[in-house]
This record gives sequence, structure tokens and C-alpha cells, in this order.
Amino acid sequence: MEKSIEEKEEFDESEIEYTSYAGEHHLPLIMSLVDQELSEPYSIFTYRYFVYLWPQLCFLAFHKGRCIGTIVCKMGEHRQTYRGYIAMLVVIKPYRGRGIASELVTRSIKVMMESGCEEVTLEAEVDNKGALALYGRLGFIRAKRLHHYYLNGMDAFRLKLLFPLKPRLPQIASQDQTQQEQENFTA
Amino acid sequence: MQPVREEESSSIQNDPGNCSIPSGDSSVWADVSPLLSAACTDLQEGELIHGDNFNLFAAMSALEIMDPKMDSGMVSAFYSIDEAIESGFAPVPISSDKTVNVESIIDIMDHLLVCEATWHMGHSLAQTVFSCIYVLRPERTSSQALLHSYCRVIRATCRAVVSVVSDARTNEEEDLLTMTYGLPFNGDEDAKGLLLLNAVEETICRQLRACKATSAKRRLLEELEPLQTNPHLEEGFCKALLCRIRFRKHFLHALNCMRRPQGRGHELARKHIASCISELQSLLESAEFLRSNTVNNGETEIEERTTASGRQPIGFDSTLNKRLSAPTPPRAIKLLSWKKAIDYFVKLLHNLDQICAFSLEPDLDFVLQFVIQFHKSRPDLVSRAHLQLLLVQDGKLYGRDTFLTICARLLAIDVSKNHGLHLNEYILQLNQLMINLLKILCANTPWQRRKLGKILNDWSIFNVQMGINVGQLMQQDTSRSQKNGDRSLFILNHVYGWIEEQIHWVALRFLVLGFELDLYSPSEYCMVYWYMYIILWKLHEKARLRVLIVVHSEERKAKRNKEYSRDMAREDRISLWVLLIQCQTSLTQGLTLMIAALRNEGMCLKSQGPFNTENEKFTQHFELLQKASLPEYDAYESFSKSTAHASLDFLPAYECFRDAQKMAKDIKVGYANDPDKLAEVRGIEQVAEHNVIAVNLLCQDRSLKVSLEFTHHPYFATAIVRRS
Ligand SMILES: CC(C)(COP(=O)(O)OP(=O)(O)OC[C@H]1O[C@@H](n2cnc3c(N)ncnc32)[C@H](O)[C@@H]1OP(=O)(O)O)[C@@H](O)C(=O)NCCC(=O)NCCS
Repeated sequence: MEKSIEEKEEFDESEIEYTSYAGEHHLPLIMSLVDQELSEPYSIFTYRYFVYLWPQLCFLAFHKGRCIGTIVCKMGEHRQTYRGYIAMLVVIKPYRGRGIASELVTRSIKVMMESGCEEVTLEAEVDNKGALALYGRLGFIRAKRLHHYYLNGMDAFRLKLLFPLKPRLPQIASQDQTQQEQENFTA
Repeated sequence: MQPVREEESSSIQNDPGNCSIPSGDSSVWADVSPLLSAACTDLQEGELIHGDNFNLFAAMSALEIMDPKMDSGMVSAFYSIDEAIESGFAPVPISSDKTVNVESIIDIMDHLLVCEATWHMGHSLAQTVFSCIYVLRPERTSSQALLHSYCRVIRATCRAVVSVVSDARTNEEEDLLTMTYGLPFNGDEDAKGLLLLNAVEETICRQLRACKATSAKRRLLEELEPLQTNPHLEEGFCKALLCRIRFRKHFLHALNCMRRPQGRGHELARKHIASCISELQSLLESAEFLRSNTVNNGETEIEERTTASGRQPIGFDSTLNKRLSAPTPPRAIKLLSWKKAIDYFVKLLHNLDQICAFSLEPDLDFVLQFVIQFHKSRPDLVSRAHLQLLLVQDGKLYGRDTFLTICARLLAIDVSKNHGLHLNEYILQLNQLMINLLKILCANTPWQRRKLGKILNDWSIFNVQMGINVGQLMQQDTSRSQKNGDRSLFILNHVYGWIEEQIHWVALRFLVLGFELDLYSPSEYCMVYWYMYIILWKLHEKARLRVLIVVHSEERKAKRNKEYSRDMAREDRISLWVLLIQCQTSLTQGLTLMIAALRNEGMCLKSQGPFNTENEKFTQHFELLQKASLPEYDAYESFSKSTAHASLDFLPAYECFRDAQKMAKDIKVGYANDPDKLAEVRGIEQVAEHNVIAVNLLCQDRSLKVSLEFTHHPYFATAIVRRS
């Protein structure tokens, strides 16, 4: 039993089914996946907070009826911007490295974008190479580092994805300064 | 799930009773039992009733009662400290066997050192040092001079550290360290600990002498009782205790000396610091002896232990104060090992020594360079707090020089005659900005970067306002001659010019910290170097202007007054610094063009995700700089234009690296006596040199694989070329 958790699973990508959160019966599946992987203990209220308010941003991945990955998010007003936030993302070990997390994140982000979010943020531990690479490929930048963010003393990165800006207004910058510095640059 | 509505809850009978807690202005106490019991029959486990104001914070703060992962009120080993004591968990004396007693005390000392280091590194005092019952209740051990005085001194040391850190308070990082949760600190009693510890040290010294003495002499010392009962172990135990006691003593002295105003205790502090370091060495050496008395339980494990002997110490329970640390959930913390704790203290002491060795020159260039150098070893909170308190005291640099005199010195102008100037509103504001900046520069680097980004805007608004105002005054004032002694306006104008330089310095620090904090990914290097180039270019321009002003005014002073001694060392120092800026300007220009060429030729990854473009990344990374009008034009457009056509065939990049290399050679000569600076410049030189070679190779063979690495410098990349 223990061993099968580590072993790579043989499967075809087309066998993975994705669904968005569809009710109470999904909650224990999400909780058991996240509890296994993330160090912080979340109370059931935290899960409910997310899945009840933003069920459309929560997705689950199944393989042959077994839940193998999930994403939990929220969105809302934050300092005059409307932003999405990815709270939890997990794919169990035997299924990693096959694009499942990327698919889950992509689905959530699309819904956020359609709902009018201007940006998406999340935090990831500085040594979580997998998560950082994954989000980097999707266009997230490391906007900040958060000192001792986790209770174990580890720093975190705040990652941010900014959706394309509205058309840029012509700038009223002093023209000759621009020229001067540009000339100097390409000298 | 039914949310509770206002009407329902207010229908519950009011029962004012005799409540001792006031209910607040617009509310009354109500009995919620009927509501709760009604809810209980309806709700399943884990369901919740929530109001509109139920947010993430509320959800995350909710506790599941009796879940050991969350409920800090749950009884663990002991219900209370008293219960632990009654059950014989921390006996006094620890053992009636004097040898065992001494051994156990040494274990406690070692474990306390580990606790202290773990506390400094960001865990709560309650779960570390104060997890020791002997520290929590020192009065119990008053008959045991050794243990008692040691614990008292530990408490006094904790107090000293809490006081430094809370006096320096700038951000939330300090909270955990200074939170004492009503732990019992008794200043007066603890202060006496040092006297007692001295007496104990004295006795052990004599015991050590006695056991080493020849039998003839020994008779003289006969009235002296040995430390413990086994003569073969006497020397080892005495030595092990002495270094531990002396470390504590010198450490507390060092901390106290460092708190004297204006750095007056620094010289003495350095002596104590040196003693501390050598005692720590003796501590390490004592490990072999202490371990030889323990039954061996696996060599590998020793590395993880919290005591030199490898034994578990007596009298510690990290769950004792759990209820004091609520509302944070009760996390088990991982203590450092004893070896790591010693490493930690050695590093801390080196950092403190760096601070004490700093010559308190009233020269801002000097201060800023020192602070940056200081950060290179990643100093911890305790040493950074000390540095901050040294730099800013009573609103003055070192508690001594006003920022007006500091600025004046930067520009080699004399402000002693302009008495009104220190009350000038711009000078007052500048004072505040400078204090703020220095404090920020002493904070941890992640926070420092965020804060620097934010204050750029304050600085630039201030700069604009001052510019307008000074400009107007200058126009009104052209009639007045400058010879009447009041040169306030002239000074203000110079200060205004310098502020612009300072803003660019802050911007550069902001960008560089991004590398240190690992915030940039390789696909973003091109834009980052471009931005650094723009900032450096302007910084160089401003700084060079200032050097000219300084040199000019010094020359004049020297001409007018034959006695005047020019501070040539200082003039050389800033000229050299300006050259270094120029060298870095060339280097970043070269890097930008090289990476842009590699991208344009498809030899390097472009940053392109499915949801956005490079433009959005640029905006995000440099938002704060652009807000502060650095530069004043549309930076992204300028960046795109100037990099769009870079190619390997036409390569100014090559020239830039060559220039940087040449300048670095000259600068090295100037820094011959400064090993830190020399190493930095050598790194820059190597980056330039290797990139020249890489560019040459790449021009000849486009099939080569190239990657950017930080082999020679922490933030200037070297192109590494490989055959695929
Ligand atoms: C992070 C996690 C969700 C990734 O799941 P996944 O399904 O393996 O991710 P994907 O297969 O979609 O990976 C997408 C890309 O990310 C990168 N990546 C993923 N895991 C990586 C790893 N361990 N090392 C390096 N890169 C990795 C790769 O670039 C990969 O693309 P590629 O396969 O085309 O090279 C998974 O490892 C996990 O559950 N970890 C534990 C929980 C966790 O850390 N969650 C994130 C909290 S912010």
C-alpha cells in the first residue's frame, strides 16, 4: 500500500478526466489529497470557505474513478484590483510530470480571466522547484520574497500573473530625454 | 447550510446577569445556548454557520477542538508547570550523585544554547529557552549556585536581546522574537546572576587548579571540595563548565557594551566578542570528553543531538507554555543541533564584531557601502537590530551627526554658519527620509526590497516638490549676493541635486536585491540588465557631477587657506566609486545587448506564456520604479526598441565588455588594500572577460549551447558556452 504511492503509474493522458467542484461528495477527496501533501493543517472550515464561495474555480482530476489531483482557488477585490488567488494545488506522486497540474491551473486561470480578474497570485515555498517551474512556464513572475513565511521558517515567493494590459496611453514624457538616453544606449 | 441572520440572533433572551466583561457600546450580552443547541441538531460535523463577514482569516483561525494539530489548550505531558515540578520532572538537585549532577547541568547548558539560537532564528521564546523549568522558575534552584546563576544570566541575556530587537523594531519579523507572552522576567534578580556566576567561575577555577596540582600543594587546598566525586573526571568537567560559563559572561557583557550610546562601548565589546569566540572553540573541544562518558548510541546521530554529550537534557518540555503561545496553533518546532547552534553563534559574533569594528565616519557614502557589505553574509535579526540602533540614534547618524551635516559633507560644503537651515522644512523632511532609509537597509532583505520599492515614490515626490520650490527661490534671489554669509539657498540647491543621485542609488539597490532574492528567471535577465543599465547610467552621471563639485570646492578651500588639509583619501574613495559605477554601466549594457542578441537569434529562451507577454512581466517587475518616474519616459517601449535589433554580427556588446574589463583593471589598483572590494571588482572583471570570449565563440558557431550562470559574480551573469 505504502509503495504504490511512490511508484509511477502507467496511464494515457486521455484517461484523465477533469471536473469542476460538484458538491459535498468532492470535499473529502480534496481534503485527503491536500492533507497528504501540504504541511500546514487546514481546518475543514478553510476548505469550505473556498469551495462554497468559488466552486467554479475548484477542479479535480480523476483516473479510473480515483481522485489524483485538485486545485482550490478564490477571487475578489484586493487594493483596487480584482484578482484571483490559487490556494492549493496537488497532484499525487504517481501521476506527476505528465501535465496534470498544468491542466488544472490552466482551467482555473481561464475561469478567473473570464470573470474579469486582472491578475492571479499565489505563494510557493522557495525550494518547491516543481511548482516554481510550472508557474513560470505559465507566465507567473516572482514578485516578492516573503521572509519566514511558513511556520517552519522557510521563505516563500509571491508569484503573480498579470493579464494583458489595456491599450497603452501615449506617454507625456519629456521627449528629448528619451532620445538622449536611447541614443546613448545603442551607441 | 443556513447562514445566521441578525433577526434570529437578536430574538434570544437578554440576560445581563453579572457579567464582568463589558459588552461594548452598541451590543449586549446574550445567551447563545438555545441557538447552539438548535444548531447542533441541524448541523453535521464540519458544517458551519457563518455571517457575511466570515473571511479567509476567520476560516483559517477556526480551531478544531481536541485536534492535537490545532488545539493548543489540549493537555499534553503536563497540565501546568507546577504539575511538572510535583511529578519530579525537574528535580533540585538534579541528582544526589554529584558527578551525575554536573553532567546533567552541562547537558542543560548545551540544550539552552541550542534553544537560544533557535529562538534567534525565529521561533518563540516560550517554546525554546523558556521550555526549561529551571529557567522558568529560577527561585527553586537558589541553593544550587551553578545552575541558578547560569539560568539567571540566560534570562538576563534574553532580556537584552529582546530589548535591542524591540527598540529597533521596523517590521513584523521582530514580533516573534520580542513576544514574551507574559513570561516571567525579573530584571533585578537576573542582573545579579552575573555576580553569582563570577563567584561560581572563581570556585571552579580553584577546583581545576586543585585537581591538577601535585600532592604537596594539594594539601594546602584541602579545604576545597572537588566539583564532583570521580577524580579522573574532575579536570574534564571543570574545563567543560568553565568555557560554558565564560561564554555566557562575555556574551552578556558584549551585548551590554554594544548598547552604549554613539558606539562608545565598541572597543570593549570587541574584546568580549573575541573571548566568546575562543570559548566556543573550547566548547567544541570539550565534546570529546563529554561524549566519552556516555554510552555510545550511534555516531551518526550525534550530529543531530542538542548536547555535546549526546544525552537528552533534564527539565525541558516545549509544550509547557503552549497555552501562552495561543492563538497560534501548537506547532512542534525543530531545534538546531548543538553543532549548528555553535556555528550560529560564531556567525552572530562575527557580525557583531563587524559592527563594532566599523569606524563611525560621518560619511554617508561610507555608511551605505558598509551596510551593503554587511548584508553579504546574511546577518540575522539580532545583529541587524544592533546595526540599526548604532546607525540611527535620536534622529542622528550614530546619535551624533545630523543629516544636514552629513549631506553637507557629501558635497563638501560648510553649513556651520547657516543656523536656520536645520529648521528648513525640506531639510527636516530629508532627515526623516534618511532615517527611514537607514532603518530599512538594516531589515531583512526580502522586506527591505519591498520597502525600498515603496519609498522610491516618497523620495521622488519630495524631490519634485523641492525642485520646484528651490527653483522659485533661486529666481527671486538672484539679486542677493552670496557673500553675506547665508548660503542656505546655494546649499539647498546642491542637496536637491544630490537627492536625485540618492534616488537612483535606492533604485539600483532595489534591482540588485532581486538577484539576491532569486526573483528573476533567466528569461527576464535581459529586461533586468537593461533597467540596471538605465539606472546606473543616470547614477553615474549624478555621482560624477558631485565628485566634480567636491573636488572643486576642496581645491578652493585649499587655495584660500594654506593650512587647510584636504581629505585626499576621501576624494579618491568617491572617485573610485564613481569609476566602479561606470564600469558596471558598461557591463550591464553589454549583458543586455548580448542576451538580446541571443534571444533574437533564437539561442536563448524567450519568455512567452499562454496568458500574457513580456510586456506584462516588465510592468510587474518595474512597476514601482516607473511610478517614481525612473526613467521619466515609457521604459518598455524604449527597452523593446533598443533590444529589438541586437544581433551577434553587429556587436557593441563586445566593446562594452572590453570597456568594463579595462576599467575594472584600473579600479583594482585603487582597491588594493580592501579585500572585499577587490574581490567584487575581480568578479566583475572576470564576467567581462569570459563574456568577451563567449561572444567571440558564439559569433563563429551558432550551434553552440549557451546558458547564463553566476559563477563569477552574484548578479552579473557569465555566458557559459557548450558544444551540444
Ligand atoms: C507541484 C505539482 C502540483 C506539479 O504537478 P505535475 O502534475 O507534476 O505538474 P506538471 O506535470 O503539470 O508540470 C508542468 C511543468 O512543471 C515543471 N515541473 C513539474 N514538476 C517539476 C519538478 N519536480 N522539477 C522540475 N520541474 C517540474 C516542468 O517544467 C513541467 O513541464 P514539462 O513536464 O513539460 O517539463 C506536484 O508536484 C505536487 O502536487 N506537489 C506537492 C504539492 C505542491 O507543492 N503544491 C504546490 C503548492 S504552491
